[in-house]
Amino acid sequence: MTDHTIRRAGRFALAMALATTALTGAAFAQDCTTKIGAVLPTSVDWGKPIAETAQFVVDQVNEAGGVQGCKIEMILRDTQVDPKVGVDAAKALVDLDGVQVLIGAVSSGVSMPILTSVTVPAGVAQFSCCSSSGAFTALAKEGKTKGLWFRTFATSNVQAVVGAKVAKDKGYKSVAVLYKNDDWGQDIGKLVAEHLQAQGITVTASVAINDAQPSYRAEVTEALAGQPEAVYLALYPTEGISAVREWLSLGGTQNMILANSLKSDEFRDAVGLQYLGSTQGTDTSSPRVASADAFVASYKARFNAEPNGPGLANSYDATMIALLAMEAAGKDAKGADIAAAVARVTDPAGTPVTADAAGFAAARDVLAGGGTVLYRGATGNVRFDENGDVSAPAVIWSFTETGTQEDTYITLEEVDALVGGSN
Amino acid sequence: MIQNLVDGILVGSVLSLGAIGLTLVMHMLRFANFSHAELLSIGAYAALVFDAVFSALLPPLAASIGPLSMTWALVLALVAAVGVTGASALAIDRLVFRRVRAKGSELSMVFASFGVAMIIRNVMGLVFGLGTHLYSKDIVFAVVVSRDPMLLIKPDQVFVLGAALLVMVALHLMLSRTTLGFALRAVAENPTLAQVNGVNLGRMIALVWVLGGGLAAIAGVFYGLTNQISPMIGRDLVLPVFAATIVGGIGSVYGAVLGGFVVGIAANLALAVLPSGYSPSVPFLIILAVLLVRPNGLFGEARA
Repeated sequence: MTDHTIRRAGRFALAMALATTALTGAAFAQDCTTKIGAVLPTSVDWGKPIAETAQFVVDQVNEAGGVQGCKIEMILRDTQVDPKVGVDAAKALVDLDGVQVLIGAVSSGVSMPILTSVTVPAGVAQFSCCSSSGAFTALAKEGKTKGLWFRTFATSNVQAVVGAKVAKDKGYKSVAVLYKNDDWGQDIGKLVAEHLQAQGITVTASVAINDAQPSYRAEVTEALAGQPEAVYLALYPTEGISAVREWLSLGGTQNMILANSLKSDEFRDAVGLQYLGSTQGTDTSSPRVASADAFVASYKARFNAEPNGPGLANSYDATMIALLAMEAAGKDAKGADIAAAVARVTDPAGTPVTADAAGFAAARDVLAGGGTVLYRGATGNVRFDENGDVSAPAVIWSFTETGTQEDTYITLEEVDALVGGSN
Repeated sequence: MIQNLVDGILVGSVLSLGAIGLTLVMHMLRFANFSHAELLSIGAYAALVFDAVFSALLPPLAASIGPLSMTWALVLALVAAVGVTGASALAIDRLVFRRVRAKGSELSMVFASFGVAMIIRNVMGLVFGLGTHLYSKDIVFAVVVSRDPMLLIKPDQVFVLGAALLVMVALHLMLSRTTLGFALRAVAENPTLAQVNGVNLGRMIALVWVLGGGLAAIAGVFYGLTNQISPMIGRDLVLPVFAATIVGGIGSVYGAVLGGFVVGIAANLALAVLPSGYSPSVPFLIILAVLLVRPNGLFGEARA
């Protein structure tokens, strides 16, 4: 080693020392940043608002001073509703950005491989706004989620039981079920068939609809064979449009019952409102409580629009609970600590806090004093069961010229009664 | 059952058109072109754009033809789309495949075709969005041909089948009756010998691309007419089209026609036997079965 390189190494060491001092100084000045990851389908029309709502939470928390004195930076990546793309995105966030909290994904079929192949192996806490498949419950029961999985969206069972109620109320005697051939679709398809049969309705056929097929004619023909009075559709708009247009053109009934995934303008426009007159859909809903109204008001103030898209309130709560849990878990907490701290921020006996910047600041004080918090969120008082699941009230809706309208509201108690009565 | 059979024939006609172009390119240039199905997507979107343009310029053209959902504007758009897609196929060859051909092996060509497919698919998504488009929002109701056994057919599908058969007959006449057709077949048979006899190889390769692209455009528009248009058309169709080509035997135009119908019918009939969740496996099974029994396809010949 020459004198020259030694001098250079010395200068480098000095520079490093200075930099380190500068960094420590910055930390005292509360100018640090903590990264969290988000994998959401931003390239589809209904996915973007979900991501914007998550960012809204991050902005509010930063306004309240951030988590553990550090600003939160949410790194958002697109899943394109594709499991492969979603897993790649999640892997990059976990491995390269080192996030300990992952928000997402929307579809169960995307969330599931992320959970099993990315977040659980890496010990990262995952909060999904919108995945509803019962497969997660089953996985949690087997202990394979390691308590790292939470979702603010009720399981498909709520929608399935309400879908069967619609069929019964309308007096349909026979129903065919078309379901998307992924985790979510298989789950809700199976559940709705069970609930329909429990109501004494014949299920003439349960037909799986695969993604990306050149034609759905054979599937539709199979479903038509039993000449059902109505059809239950658990599909996404892309294949839903194709299958339903085929269904109608082959003389299938217009008595359709839709899962919330088809609550989309794209679907309504491509099929045509004139064919959707006797169609009703189901969806889970925010409870009619003050904290939910407060969310609607703050959303309108921020985005100048009603929070009408699917999963917005759920996205808000998923993100807020994740950040509250990070605050509760302390500085530089790992995913498992954050997941464990969720119970401290959703404690029914805790101090109630609101879903906004002030609520977050209030929660910080309580948590710093060793107390627990009851988060009153956009979807009501969120309470996870041991599998990371929540229940929810439901609505029955139908399409209108401008979008959708609510026909019936079913409270949490009524949903629980329906579920209990059907099982 | 009869319904599945008829549906299979109707789906098969679209696959056949795509497979003809693919089999010509594969035979002549001796590589598996995985980007061929993307030409269907280019054709479908080109027709969508021209359809909107023609309908706006000449509103009377936007009226439906008889019981079809097809309009005169779309017929004109189809012609324009054939041109655009043929030109795109040629441009892709000039930009990518010709350069790779000059330097790389057959395997490099296959990998290049994967890359081209991805680029085209994503450019389509970027320009037109990932959502679905339709030529016509009206739903054309199927006609009940027979009640027992139940048989329903859509006018559009009969038209598509007829038009596809017409195109195939025209292609057959061109290949078997014209000097151009002889030259094409000669190059496919033995490029060196064909050149010795005064056939311009470069021009024949260009012709194959234009022909393949044009047929793909027709298949793409017909697919869009009976289903819907999305940037994923190429991804959804690449496997059935390949299966049709392999079943028919690489290089055989008539084999490709038959292969298209075989794959279409098999995929539809399979649902009568298999649960619907397994239907995507059918093209794979057909490829496997054919390769095991007749490695060169039904009409293909072994090549030294």
